[in-house]
Amino acid sequence: MIVANTLFTRVVRNSPYLLIALLVVPVLGGLLGVLLPAFGWFPALGAHEFGLFGFVQLFQTPGIERMVLLSFGTSLASTLLAFIITILILASYFNSPWLKRIQRLLGPILVIPHAAAAIAIGFLITPSGFLSRLVSPWLTGWDTPPDWLLPHDPYGLSIIFGLTLKELPFLLLIALGVLAQPEIGKTLRAQHKVASSLGYCPMTGFFKVILPSLYGYMRLPLLAVLAYSSASVEIPLILGPNTPPTLAVAIMQWFNDVDLSLRIKASSGAILQIVITLSLLGSWWLLELFVKQCSAAFLINGEREYGGMLIKRLTDMITIAMLTVIGLALVAMVLWSFAGFWSYPDILPQQLVSLHWTSALLQMQTPLFNTLVIAISTTLIAIALTLLVLEAEQQNTKTISAISGFIIYLPLLIPSIAFLFGIVWLFEQVNSQHAYVNVVFSHLLFVLPYVFLSLANSYRRLDPRFSSVAASLGVPPSKIFWQLKLPLLISPILIASALGLAISFSQYLPTLLSGAGRINTITTEAVTLANGASRRTSAVYALMQMLLPALFFILAWAVPKFFFRKRG
Amino acid sequence: MRLSKCLNNYYRQLIISLCLLSVIPLSSNVFANEASIEAKSTSRAWHNVEKRGTKQNVYFHAWGGDQQINNYIQWVADQVKQKYAINLHHVKLTDTSEAVSRVLAEKAADNHRNGQVDLVWINGANFASMAKYQLLAADWAGELPNFELTNPTNNPAMTRDFGVPTQGMEAPWGQAALTFYFDSLKVNDVPQTLPELLTWSENHPGHFTYPKPPDFLGMSFLKYALIILNEQQPANIKEKLYQDATVESQAQLLPSLWQFLDKLHPTLWRQGKHFVSNGLALRRLMGDTELQVSFTFSAAEIPSAISRYDLPDSTRSYRMKDGSLSNIHFVAIPYNSPHIEGAKLVANFLLSPEAQSRKQKTAVWGDSSVLDLSQLTATQKTLFAAPKKQHLSANIINIDNTRLLGELHPSWVKVITEQWLTRYGVQ
Repeated sequence: MIVANTLFTRVVRNSPYLLIALLVVPVLGGLLGVLLPAFGWFPALGAHEFGLFGFVQLFQTPGIERMVLLSFGTSLASTLLAFIITILILASYFNSPWLKRIQRLLGPILVIPHAAAAIAIGFLITPSGFLSRLVSPWLTGWDTPPDWLLPHDPYGLSIIFGLTLKELPFLLLIALGVLAQPEIGKTLRAQHKVASSLGYCPMTGFFKVILPSLYGYMRLPLLAVLAYSSASVEIPLILGPNTPPTLAVAIMQWFNDVDLSLRIKASSGAILQIVITLSLLGSWWLLELFVKQCSAAFLINGEREYGGMLIKRLTDMITIAMLTVIGLALVAMVLWSFAGFWSYPDILPQQLVSLHWTSALLQMQTPLFNTLVIAISTTLIAIALTLLVLEAEQQNTKTISAISGFIIYLPLLIPSIAFLFGIVWLFEQVNSQHAYVNVVFSHLLFVLPYVFLSLANSYRRLDPRFSSVAASLGVPPSKIFWQLKLPLLISPILIASALGLAISFSQYLPTLLSGAGRINTITTEAVTLANGASRRTSAVYALMQMLLPALFFILAWAVPKFFFRKRG
Repeated sequence: MRLSKCLNNYYRQLIISLCLLSVIPLSSNVFANEASIEAKSTSRAWHNVEKRGTKQNVYFHAWGGDQQINNYIQWVADQVKQKYAINLHHVKLTDTSEAVSRVLAEKAADNHRNGQVDLVWINGANFASMAKYQLLAADWAGELPNFELTNPTNNPAMTRDFGVPTQGMEAPWGQAALTFYFDSLKVNDVPQTLPELLTWSENHPGHFTYPKPPDFLGMSFLKYALIILNEQQPANIKEKLYQDATVESQAQLLPSLWQFLDKLHPTLWRQGKHFVSNGLALRRLMGDTELQVSFTFSAAEIPSAISRYDLPDSTRSYRMKDGSLSNIHFVAIPYNSPHIEGAKLVANFLLSPEAQSRKQKTAVWGDSSVLDLSQLTATQKTLFAAPKKQHLSANIINIDNTRLLGELHPSWVKVITEQWLTRYGVQ
């Protein structure tokens, strides 16, 4: 397509470069800021010689192999588990109205920040938690809390549980997003029908026909989940063991340790973390190859039925158990936020009071204001930039190159703990004193990819004939963009905005580090309080963390309805 | 009765002075004298500070995990706003080391004038670390007019932070002593000494624990145990606790601690396989009734937690009979603070009888004042009178007949942490 050379088209044409720069510079700069100290260069501590003593120190840390194993194991296990359950749910409820219902029930979990989810799960599974109260003392005979090892078990089971619950809705949403694309979804559904008509049980049909095609679309998000979970901090911090903790948590503690010389070890640890994440991605790839090898024969053996009913029953059970756990966790959290004294093993608090809400809401005003200002500015920038880049794609009539496509995922694939500390150093280098700007900038690294991911499909799917017709009538590109495409895309734009806001709301490490601790948001307060003294205040903050994104998703869903009804 | 109280007080003073004397380098005493002389002669200099400090923005980096303390700092902010038009911003830290990291990062980036931290709440190892890397402004505490009220000449603790001379880099803010608490409905045989604690925990397994070092509170428990376990040692060995830890002194002093912990750990919460990461988690576990005896450095948090339903109404607090670890906490100004005058004004206000007496009230914060009451006027003294009505848990049992144990030399923190992690960090 030949495009006029106006200011609008120039801005559009250059926007991909801006996007790439915004993502690449901080990530690479941040990595450099960790790489130098990792190899011994840290002038402020008087360390001017390159060497490996940081790594020597690191490998001498007691329990280092356990930390590595814990990071590796919890991440691989939780991703596998979440993936398997996703597939089971898809296979069991494919073509059933239940799929939509489950999606609707699980969807909200997607926007619950990790910290809030961890707090909620903690409330459920601690020895004095809701589950134990439900069965005591009538079943167990406990009148003081038992001394069991959940959460914080040394095997990381609580971490796996927490991560799986958080990853599952994300993967499910991705898969359903793929199936919702007209070309792919239609083809796959048609193929599934053919398989059924050939006598394949729907379950077998799903595994043999749909899964092999579907998997290709899920690979990148899966890898992102894997990378994220290997280096995440909130869930292992709140639910994980600490003798020893996961590597990412240990790195964070070394970075924050009083003993400043630990910085060098922490930087070396960050490099080790990258190696772990890379080897996880490698293992996943090997696993893929292995499954491909093993399943080649299975795909074409002509067998129609593999105990589909049994698998479906199992899936039903898993799904019900999961929804129950989520429901109970929510109930427990709401109860705690209103609880007077609540002695064990009472199922309900002795009295319900609103004290915790009123006092928390009073103290919450500044953090709430900060949270909203940062999230809204970040999301506006992310949406604007994403739209421009997608528009550039259409003007160039080709999708952005594979490399750029990969770069967008960069901040999601590189463990954030590895480059965030370097970014703080980078901000220092450019002497950026504006805490708000720094925070928005670092939030952008995580908000942009998600907004792009969420908006790209709808934008690319938009029928090109609309703009062709308009252009042939002499409408300039800027007018097509503003008056044709944006109104058509209002719904996905609002959903992407709500997602962007939710991602920004949930950021803990980036806010803490680039805000120099000067900026408190609901999430930083919640994590501080999660390790603090009061379950009640902690419950209020965690609920607040859930309510905020929920509010914006409801708005994003309701506004276009209202908008279009008026028009219609 | 009165005589015994006097003797107790005398005894307490004696112990403190003995502990302290053994470590004070001569210079810090001299410094304290100099400081007092300086403070008198520099009232004009102080006038300049007042002039330049007004209307400044002061970023006060202070641990923000306790609502009572946060509210008190908010009150301070309101006061300095009225008095000096200073905008005091409380930057809430989860760990003081975050501020240390920040100043260090700034120094690394050659930001020597425009730091983000103007005032930091600090003591112990964090202070030693910042002093070692020269991250603090020096020789200013003596300038504060209210510093005199702490009577630094006769009270050497005001110019020493965990045995390290402060050299005017810090102004004292408050003091705390290790206080234990228990649920009086559940516990009949309250352990009142360290050996009793071990026996009690053996009889009631799973109901006591301490935070994992290097957490401040957990470290304090280990220090308390270390002091008590080495009490029978000859004085020349005991006093090494207040000096730089050497290989020799470690070999002499630490084994008794590890033997004690080897016995204690299997009886702890989660069989000593998992330790909470910070001191506040202890209070939550007490509220969950998973623990039955626990301890804190801020005794005033107990009645206030009861009023918020976080602890049962039957909670009572007490001090161990064999001694209570006590320390002073300070505020310091980083070397690259752009608002040094404003920070000094705030530090001076924090030391005023008005601010100190308010801080001491149980309903506000309950942190003991660092002022020497003998230095105050009669009206100022009345500010410190105890309120008539308070929760039973605010009356600390044994408060009058426990001796206060001085803090160890900060070098022990690293030694104990490292060896603890090697022994118990991987399970």
